[in-house]
Amino acid sequence: MVQPAQAQNEAVERLKCNWCQGINLKTALSCQFCGAPLDLKDVVSESGWREAPRLKDMTEFHISNSTCQVEGEIVPVAEINVGQGDAFYFEHHVMLWKDPTVPMSVLQLPGGMKRVLAGMPFIISIAQGPGRVAFSRDATGELVVLPLHPGMELDVREHAFLLASANITYSFERIKGLRNILFGGQGMYMDRFVTTNQSGLLILHGYGNVFERTLKPGESILVEPGAFLYKDSTVQMNVQMQQLSTGIFGGSAMSLAQMIGPGRVGIQSMYVHHATE
Amino acid sequence: MSAAPSAPAAGRSYTCNWCGAVSDGTSLSCPSCGATINVKEIVTPTGWIEMPGRKDMAKLQIGKSSCQIEGLYVPAADFNLSPEDGVYFAHHVLLWKENSVAISMMSMKGAWKRAFAGMPIFMTQAKGPGHIAFSRDLPGELLALPLQPGQAVDVREHFLLVATDQVDYGWTNTNIWFNTKNGDETETHYPLGMFLDRFSASKMPGLLLLHASGNVFVRQLAPGQSILIKPTALIFKDPTVSMQLHFEHPNSGWNLWMSYIQRYLWLRVTGPGRIAIQSAFEPVEDNGQTITNHSPATRQQW
Repeated sequence: MVQPAQAQNEAVERLKCNWCQGINLKTALSCQFCGAPLDLKDVVSESGWREAPRLKDMTEFHISNSTCQVEGEIVPVAEINVGQGDAFYFEHHVMLWKDPTVPMSVLQLPGGMKRVLAGMPFIISIAQGPGRVAFSRDATGELVVLPLHPGMELDVREHAFLLASANITYSFERIKGLRNILFGGQGMYMDRFVTTNQSGLLILHGYGNVFERTLKPGESILVEPGAFLYKDSTVQMNVQMQQLSTGIFGGSAMSLAQMIGPGRVGIQSMYVHHATE
Repeated sequence: MSAAPSAPAAGRSYTCNWCGAVSDGTSLSCPSCGATINVKEIVTPTGWIEMPGRKDMAKLQIGKSSCQIEGLYVPAADFNLSPEDGVYFAHHVLLWKENSVAISMMSMKGAWKRAFAGMPIFMTQAKGPGHIAFSRDLPGELLALPLQPGQAVDVREHFLLVATDQVDYGWTNTNIWFNTKNGDETETHYPLGMFLDRFSASKMPGLLLLHASGNVFVRQLAPGQSILIKPTALIFKDPTVSMQLHFEHPNSGWNLWMSYIQRYLWLRVTGPGRIAIQSAFEPVEDNGQTITNHSPATRQQW
């Protein structure tokens, strides 16, 4: 029988993941919920940006009855061994390979016509277990593994999500304000991922390197709109025009996205560049 | 020129788990393909072998010539050619060269068909002595494929970086196509291109260097074993691996007004033999029109 003092010691010796806050066995080298290395220090810049954890090649982590393995480090692949009873959804063009026996279906999405007009994915595919499916995108970058705890809401740049577990609700959020739509570089909508009673797994692909910063209430920063990757739904996003004067040659303006806390903001270093006005 | 790696030292022998070459294992990397020596072979549970870690500045010995792989994001292949050796390549991959290296044009067989298929009809040839280096314009990996006499490999077009003179360059039909019809117009699509490059070694061993985008994975398929891959992810396959189209229709539960979203286009590859895929790949083109005819294919409606 485990004595209370012994149990307390074991509890103390558990490792907390700095990225997803998951609790792991003290012997674990990587987080069982998000794959982040547990033997490395948090990498945070002086300005407060935290690097998304660099997932080691062949890192494995778990969600429900399924396992995800990360393969490669230039354009990493997420290979999911989908367990019986589990399902994952994604945009179909990110599938790299699959077992022929994995059944495929389509997620029913609300607001289909709005999505088509906004250039958002109209059809989201679902792969059901058991079997293996692998996913990757088309450019150098990082996988950002975001285990979503119950009651979380996350807004994600269009076409940036790689896959999500079926217990996460997928909807879209209209970006408010005409200036945001015209100059924000995000299009009209963002993907919104919401968990209710259950936890879920969301994996994004960011181009280049990915950094995250947690803003305090009222704290704001300006980011290049093409670099925006994700944010908590509590973070407000507005467009701020920056006037650039060139003396007798007139001037131009550039738009930046102002993010106002509280909440997390994720950016990618290899961003889509939007020309100045 | 002989591409045989250095003879194993007495009492020592190391078999490269990437190319199978035998060396004495005293260097940091395989002298035949540059793979790290003693690297623990990394295999996913499904059997995909990730290309072995190749250290920066890994050196490959090819007879009296050598090749050093420099850099990790967009690696360059730096050849030191001996006077009797040569390589060929598409001219746009040339990074730099020394004045002593002579370059000339090498014409290809079947020029009209190659031009029609968008394949290069001329290759550039370089003769030693001297240094010449090659790289492509995308982050990715270099694959070194040593070819033994009688061995051949089928490569998707535009993946070749450079090959030694001992490697014969031919081509083969993919026989992967489908027709769509829009009104009176019929369009033929080739998800893999019309042709595959076929590289082979006849009498002498040779070296083939390919460049792929992203990470590279290789899998050995057993006889009759098949998997579905995105056509644009294929890098190379053994000639023994057969290919056909596979149309997959997800269960939507309702009728969609755009037909293409009800189908996924796959390439079904069936063993025996090796296949290699890249993790960064372009979307497969599908205009969404009704398919009126196609090469041999399988179909799955969920």
